[in-house]
Parts: sequence; C-alpha cells; structure tokens
Amino acid sequence: MRRSHKTLLMCGWALAAGGVWLALVWQGYTTLGGAAAVCALCVMGLAGGPALRVMDRWRGGAAEPLAGEGPGSSGSGAWVRGSAGRTAPPRPASAEGSLVDRLIAQGRVALLLRPQIAASLTEEELWRAQQALDEAMAVVPQGPVLLRPRCADQLDEETAAKAQRLLGVEGYFLDRYCVTNRQYWEFVADGGYEQMSLWDEAIWPAVLGFVDRTGHPGPRFWSHGMYPPGKEDHPVVGISWYEACAYARWVGKRLPTDPEWVKAGVWPVLAEGSWPVQRRFPWGDALDRRRANLWGSGFHGTIPVQALPEGASVSGIHQLIGNVWEWTSTPFGVWEPPGRRIETDLPLKSIRGGAFDTYFDGQAHCQFQSGESPLARKHNIGFRCALGFCDIVHVPPGAAEDGAEEDASARHQVAPYTAREEAD
Amino acid sequence: MRGYGTVELDSHRLAAYTVPYPCYICGGGNNFDAELCRHCHAPMALAQQAAQQNVQPQMLAALGPSGAGKTVYLGMLTDMLSRQDEPLQVLARGAFSIQLQQQTLGALARCEFPQKTPTEPDRWHWVHCQVLRPRHRPIELIMPDLAGEALLEEVDHPRTFPVIRAFLSKCAGAMILIDAPRAQAGESDEDFQTMKLLSYLCELESDPRRGWPTRPLAMVFTKADQCEDCFDDPAAFARRHTPGLVQQCQQRLRRHRFFAVGVAGACGFRHETHGRMHVPLRIEPRGIVEPFLWLVDQLRASC
Repeated sequence: MRRSHKTLLMCGWALAAGGVWLALVWQGYTTLGGAAAVCALCVMGLAGGPALRVMDRWRGGAAEPLAGEGPGSSGSGAWVRGSAGRTAPPRPASAEGSLVDRLIAQGRVALLLRPQIAASLTEEELWRAQQALDEAMAVVPQGPVLLRPRCADQLDEETAAKAQRLLGVEGYFLDRYCVTNRQYWEFVADGGYEQMSLWDEAIWPAVLGFVDRTGHPGPRFWSHGMYPPGKEDHPVVGISWYEACAYARWVGKRLPTDPEWVKAGVWPVLAEGSWPVQRRFPWGDALDRRRANLWGSGFHGTIPVQALPEGASVSGIHQLIGNVWEWTSTPFGVWEPPGRRIETDLPLKSIRGGAFDTYFDGQAHCQFQSGESPLARKHNIGFRCALGFCDIVHVPPGAAEDGAEEDASARHQVAPYTAREEAD
Repeated sequence: MRGYGTVELDSHRLAAYTVPYPCYICGGGNNFDAELCRHCHAPMALAQQAAQQNVQPQMLAALGPSGAGKTVYLGMLTDMLSRQDEPLQVLARGAFSIQLQQQTLGALARCEFPQKTPTEPDRWHWVHCQVLRPRHRPIELIMPDLAGEALLEEVDHPRTFPVIRAFLSKCAGAMILIDAPRAQAGESDEDFQTMKLLSYLCELESDPRRGWPTRPLAMVFTKADQCEDCFDDPAAFARRHTPGLVQQCQQRLRRHRFFAVGVAGACGFRHETHGRMHVPLRIEPRGIVEPFLWLVDQLRASC
C-alpha cells in the first residue's frame, strides 16, 4: 500500500514535469513562430509587397466566405476585457481564412480587384470582392467641379469669379466612411509600420518616431499599440499625412485629391450654358449642426463614423463635413489667387471638411481648405481613401453567373485625376 | 468793471456737475456725463452701471507680453461663453462690452487675427459681464483688454499708466498669458517678461492676507496648438521651458495653476500691401474655458 502510494506520487511528479516541459517547448515554438512571422512580414514589406506575388500560391487554401462580416469589419469576434483594465485587442483579420478572405476582412479588396490580381481569382471571389467594394466605397462620377479659393466668401464678386477654377475629375470611388481605429489597427497589427515599401523613402527616418503614448508604433493617442477603449468605430486621429498614405497603400488605395474630395461633397449638376450648380454642404446649402459634428453640435469630441447619417452626401458618403478634418493628397494653397497665397515654414498638405472643434460655419463647408504640416499628428485630423475607376476591374452584375472571362480592365480606359492636373 | 452777484442754479443738470462721480477703476472724480475717466481713461460706464445696478463687479486681468494673444483669448472666451451651454455662461453688460467680442470674432471668421491693441488706454476694450452658473450666485466681472506694450512699460517704469496700476491693485485674480511656441523655442524673453510681471504684481500688493500672493493666478500657455505636448501637461511644459517662472510661482504664489490654450489650428503668412501678415488657417478653440473656470472657482472660494 505504501509502495503504491510512492509509485503514484512519482508518477504524478513525472506527469507534472512532462507538462512543464511540453509547455516550455510549446512556448518556444510559439515565440519562434511569431519571430519568424514578423521577419517574413518585414522581408515581404522590404521586397515591395510580395504578398501580392505569392497570392496565387496561397489561393490553394479553401475560400470560405466570412458570413455576416462587412468590409469595414476586422473579423475580430467578441471583445474581452484584459486584466489591466484595457480592452483586449481583437484578433487580426489576417489570422484566419484564405488570403482572399483575409484581404476582404481587412478591407483590402482594392488589391484583389487590381487587373493583375483579378485575372487569377475565381468568378465567385471576384464577385465577393466587388460586393465588398460596393459596400465600403461610393461612386463619384466623372465630370467638372468648380474649385473656389479658401476664403472666397471674403472676396468681392469679381475677384472671386476670377479666382475660381473649373477642373475635370475622372470617375472614382471614395470611402463611405473615414478610416476607423479598428481598421487602422489591422494595418498596425499587420506590421504596417515595419513594411518600409509602404512608406516614402524620404520619410523613413521619421517612421521610427510615429509612435503612440507608450512608444509603440501607431497613432499618437493610442497606448500599447491599441486604440482607446470604446473608440473602435471612431475615426483614427493622431496620424500624419505619411501614415495616412502608408495605410492607403496597404489597402491598395490612395488619398483623394482636392478636386476629387470637393466633387464628392458639392455634387455638381451641369446646367446647360452655365457653371455647374454646386452645394455648399453635402446635404444642401444651409449649415445644420444636427447633420454634422462641429463645434456647437454638442458632442465635444469625435463620434463613430456611422453617426449622423442624415449628413451624408448624395452618393452616400458620410461625415464629409465635421467630426475630423481629412487629409488629401494635394498641397495646401494651390487654389489661391496669386495675391493671396499663404506662406508657411513647411509646405503643408490640404485638409478638408472641418472637425468637431471647427468654430465657424464659414470654415466647415465643402469649398473651405485648410492646411497642416504632413508630419503633424493632430487630434482632429483623419482620412478616407479613394480609388480610381481605372485602377480596378469592374465586374458587371451577373458576371459570376455568366462566367465571362474577358479582361474587365479594358472597359475603363479613362485616366484618373492625378498629379498631372495638380501640376497644371 | 466787475460785478458780483448770486446766480441761482435753475437746473438739476448744472447742479450735477458739482458732484464728482468717482471712476470705478481709479476712484478719481469726474463729471457725471464723462465718457472716460479724466485721470485713467477707463470708461465711466463701468461706474454708472455699478451705481445703477447696485453691484460691485470684481475685476479679472488678462496680462502678458505683447503678442501673447490676450485680445484673441478674451474675445474667444467671451464669445464661447455667450454662445452655448458651457459650464459657465457670460452675459454682457452694456453694448461696449460686446465690442471686443465683435471685433475679434469678425477678424477670426475672416481668417485674420485682430489688430494689435493700441497703447492708448482710451482705445482699450473693457468687458463688463455677468457670469452665470447653475446653482451658483451670478458674479459680476470686469475684464479689460490691456495693451501688452503698455503693461510692460508700466512694469519697467511704474506709474506710467495709472489705469494699469489702479486696475491691478483692485483685481481679484489674473491670467498671465505666455507664448508657448516662443517659450519652446528657447526665447528667454518670454520667461523674463512673465517673471517681471509677476514680480510687479507681488510688489504692488504684497499684503500676505489680501495681496497678490494670495490671489489666484492662472498661468496660460497660448498658441499651444503649435506645440502639442503643451496640452498633455502644461506644468511639465513650464518646468522644461520656463524654469524661472515656475520658481517664482512656487516662491511667491499660494494659488496658481498652469494651462494650455489654442485658438488657431495652424498659421501662415500672407503678403499684404502693408507687409507680411500672420493669418490663422482655421479656428478650433481648445482649452479656452478651463483657466477662466478655475479662476471663477477660486474667486467663489475667496468670497
């Protein structure tokens, strides 16, 4: 009896030791695996985004649709509270499913719809990507837009008329909502700050300084690489123009130009023989603080991007006015008449739309342009992305059933509004 | 030939001229219909309103070197508090009290800064207002927009501007505005000028129970939108960039606190016929109400 007790005790000790050993080995593998994954990401990033090149190889995996997840969703599942009282991070969308599913879940459908990639997708995958794009982005049709100088209201009629410019804008897609903290977190979690190919080479030294309050890579007002609790659907703020550009590249899009952004808001209507008739605000000509989050609207801070749907534009783009200023790709001040050009110490980038703390009505309409240093990481500047019609293939309705295999990119031969126009 | 006689005063108006009306700021005698005090150039409307409404307004000063942003701050503050439901509300007393708000906000809405406050006291804007707060008794306040150059002149050469001296003697509290970007750039002038102001105040009324050492002082870093870390921790910013001022505050003042405010989101320069003009690129007030709220709380505590 005593001997059997001893044997049992020894067996117990042996089992416990074995368990500890297994745990250590597992931990080691996990750590090694994690390190290997990070290394792979870095190498992929430095090599110029070979993720796209290896897509075909990865497509061998089963393509299971993510039921009930929109394009803006991270596919994160439930949220839990961490022991430190902070909200635990959601699982990155890159953690599960095939590459196509993961890209759709991360909101990177634009990559899938590139002509080079789309050719190797199945009809069903292409169709799903197109659906996701339609949900996330709105169409802004081709046409002219009248751009006025930033303080046109203060100019006399003749000067204002001389200063305004009629520009042609190619058709493009614009995000329905500003990029949210949750969406941006996908970029951070995917090692966006380490993929140097996403960043302009000139800005590489500054990328190391793009950290949050705790020194982790990420927006300025985050902590430990995580956005503030409860703000997952708020627009991401505290990001520089370069961070916005890097994110846009990561999702296969770009920042909108100034004329593109204005066109989405003013929604020009061409009347024969006259200038286009344009709105002052996306919803009409009069400011209504119940439709936009501005100073005096009563919110005193950012609000979720889906809020105030009554302030959406004709094509369903939300919060073009208010909540946060939005970075555009255009330099600040290019539309000013020669006598009213504004000089700054650094060349600024244009921001549009006003924010939750914009005080004056006259500084929160579609034509008002302000500027900010591209390195500034302000509490009230966010962004949304754009995508030219010509940059992606178009899947016509019913294509999935028809099984048509023609190169859809051939249907869009128009050149988007690009830096070419800005240089003019 | 000279004749003597008695002329009967047949009008009460003539009689009124014989009665001196004291200025609310300096206490000097004036005629009842004087617009400005003949001694200190403060508006006599302040005294008339105080007499008519039977109130004794307290005085609050916004001080600081030239270009620190006193006019923009005061104009913005009064406009914000008179426009929406903030913790405090301000009700202007008399049309002259809205002048500062009108001029400042008009300029800012045009994306320009208001003109520099002239040095002559008769051209300063005075704000007499009632501060309303739920569940509290209203407070009557007088807040003038003093010229920074005049302030420094008075500090360097006391009694040059009697109005400043008289006003600061009677003030219940003050905000000292400091240009944050200049302080961050290491321009020691900002530190020295603020220290001089503080020193002047403490020597002007040095009574340990009722003088400036016991009166509340809000040290306000302005234009903080250009140095964002100032918003995160104004006191730490002060320790890093204005160490002399911090030392003076600790030694001389019992009630002080550091704040950061910003009005323009970004600024640039525009060439005008009269030279290079500093212009705001947008207006997004930040931290404006907090220093004033703290001061009002301190005034209530003193009462």
